[in-house]
Amino acid sequence: MERRGKRWVNSLIVVWTGVVLLFFFIPIAGVIISSFGKSRYFRFPVKTWSFKWYEETINANLTENLHVTSFYVAGCVAVIALVLGFFGALAFARYDWKGRIFYQRLIMLPIFFPQAVLGLALLLWFTYVGVLPSWEAAVFAHLVWIVPIVTLIISIQVYGFDVSQEEAAFDLGANRWQVFREVTMPALAPGLFSGGLFAFLLSWGNFPLSTYTSGADSTVTEWLYTKMSSGYTPMIPTIGAFSVYGSIVILFIGYLLLVMRRRRAEKRA
Amino acid sequence: MAEGAPILRIENLTKVFGKLRAVNDVSLDIVDGEFFTIVGPSGSGKTTLLRMLAGLEKPNAGDVLLRGNRVNDVPANKRPTCMVFQSLALFNHRTVGQNIEFALKMRGVSRAARRERCEELMKVVRLPQEFYAKGVTKCSGGERQRVALARALASDPDIMFFDEPLSAIDYQLRKLLEVELKDLHRETGKTFVYITHSLEEAMVMSDRIGIMQAGRLIQIGTPDEIYTKPLNKFVSEFMGEVNTLPVQVGSDGKFDCADLGSQFLGPQTDNGIQSGYLVIRPESMRFLNDPSEADNHVKGSLFNEYAMGSRVQYHVRAGNQMLVIEKLREMAFRGSINDDVMIGWDVKDSVLVSD
Repeated sequence: MERRGKRWVNSLIVVWTGVVLLFFFIPIAGVIISSFGKSRYFRFPVKTWSFKWYEETINANLTENLHVTSFYVAGCVAVIALVLGFFGALAFARYDWKGRIFYQRLIMLPIFFPQAVLGLALLLWFTYVGVLPSWEAAVFAHLVWIVPIVTLIISIQVYGFDVSQEEAAFDLGANRWQVFREVTMPALAPGLFSGGLFAFLLSWGNFPLSTYTSGADSTVTEWLYTKMSSGYTPMIPTIGAFSVYGSIVILFIGYLLLVMRRRRAEKRA
Repeated sequence: MAEGAPILRIENLTKVFGKLRAVNDVSLDIVDGEFFTIVGPSGSGKTTLLRMLAGLEKPNAGDVLLRGNRVNDVPANKRPTCMVFQSLALFNHRTVGQNIEFALKMRGVSRAARRERCEELMKVVRLPQEFYAKGVTKCSGGERQRVALARALASDPDIMFFDEPLSAIDYQLRKLLEVELKDLHRETGKTFVYITHSLEEAMVMSDRIGIMQAGRLIQIGTPDEIYTKPLNKFVSEFMGEVNTLPVQVGSDGKFDCADLGSQFLGPQTDNGIQSGYLVIRPESMRFLNDPSEADNHVKGSLFNEYAMGSRVQYHVRAGNQMLVIEKLREMAFRGSINDDVMIGWDVKDSVLVSD
């Protein structure tokens, strides 16, 4: 009796989980499926299948322009945010200094500031100091919002790091640089990885900051928003689909690297 | 053990943190090859002292001399000394082998030579060879201790420092590791400087012990000297349960104890102490049938008794003092709670100490 009840609950959990997943992924799958449609409008289910809009999108050099701009912005943001966030996190979580509490509060501010207002404020400021709106300007705008987040993410890792490991390495004959390379960096690596990943993704998906500051260099999100609000084109689902394909490829490469590293470690041991 | 050339000489070493004098004018010679333990309660400055010896902290005043050379300004990575940390500070993202080989890798030793030395060290600290590729986070507490020991030994340092490495370990394993550490000291012949807050732990392992209190090194001696001739009440109570009777030295040379309202015969005082404490260890106290059986006697009532394995402990209330007596189990006192008893001790078993 009890076992039967348990099985019933278990199958309910499975069904529930399945429904939640379906609910999450149907919109994404819907976009990809409709990118293979021939129709001029966003329609579901798809009546006639074709690669027509893929052809058009590629011929219009749209992916090249949009994705490459987004990639440049997100890439630069990720690298710069990682460096600043790393040192910021050391100041946040590691060292005790005068004004640290104030700094810890101050760094939260940009995160809670509405992004649309922040974007406008930054545009006005950029104009005032003579910086023209461009993808480079967008990088700086993104950094204002993303560096604090990356700092917090890495700080969590820094809080969990036993500082005496650095002293032990130093005591064992390592110089400052060796301590950093052999102990500090590897110990904080998980935090740095997630910090960098977050920086890239937050920048990649950002619209409110980019729309004010990127000027003529349009990112994927900006183009999608503009097209959707003023003149729909079936290239929208196609561009969206390209983003999904890109993520899948990147994830797969990451997975391969992980597997290869594990194999190499096993072979050495 | 106290004679021979000092490998480490400490002269008037002082370290100040803000208003706190963590280490206050400490001078000490440590002899080549000895096992020296610094004992003190937490906050007594012993860790700061050790960190200055290791080069992890710079003194505000005084000198550290290593084989006669002043090393105040030599950083830890350039000193031929190595430390085992309280937290052990193992590199958690590395394997046992990588941890042990770290010092050698930093010195540019080849991979094959490192491996060979590592295997040798694992034998010394009794770690099975198959642990070589095991992650340190997967090791048990005792295994992690051994990894930390091997890692510190790898570069063949002249002096090994220990910052309470056994404090977080359960009693049984700690007793085992204490013995192993003393054996390791014997096998390697290196100088060990160890700090702990447990005088009992220090007694087991050390050639000499230094007692620290509030930044000062107040007494240095062999375990036997510390045990039988504690400098003051602080040192005598650090050893564990002892009887300390507050006394005044009277004009007739007798000791007046106001608490018990009686006079005692005490040891000859050549240190000019006029008032202080008479220290008598529980095992030197005994139950009497007649006052003539001991030099001193006190009357009281049996408060309680406690079986402690090989020994039995009795608490006897006398005046407003609770006196502690210990007997071997086979020589246990037959009495019941609240019985009137007479206890006593001989002059040779008592020590007069200052406050």
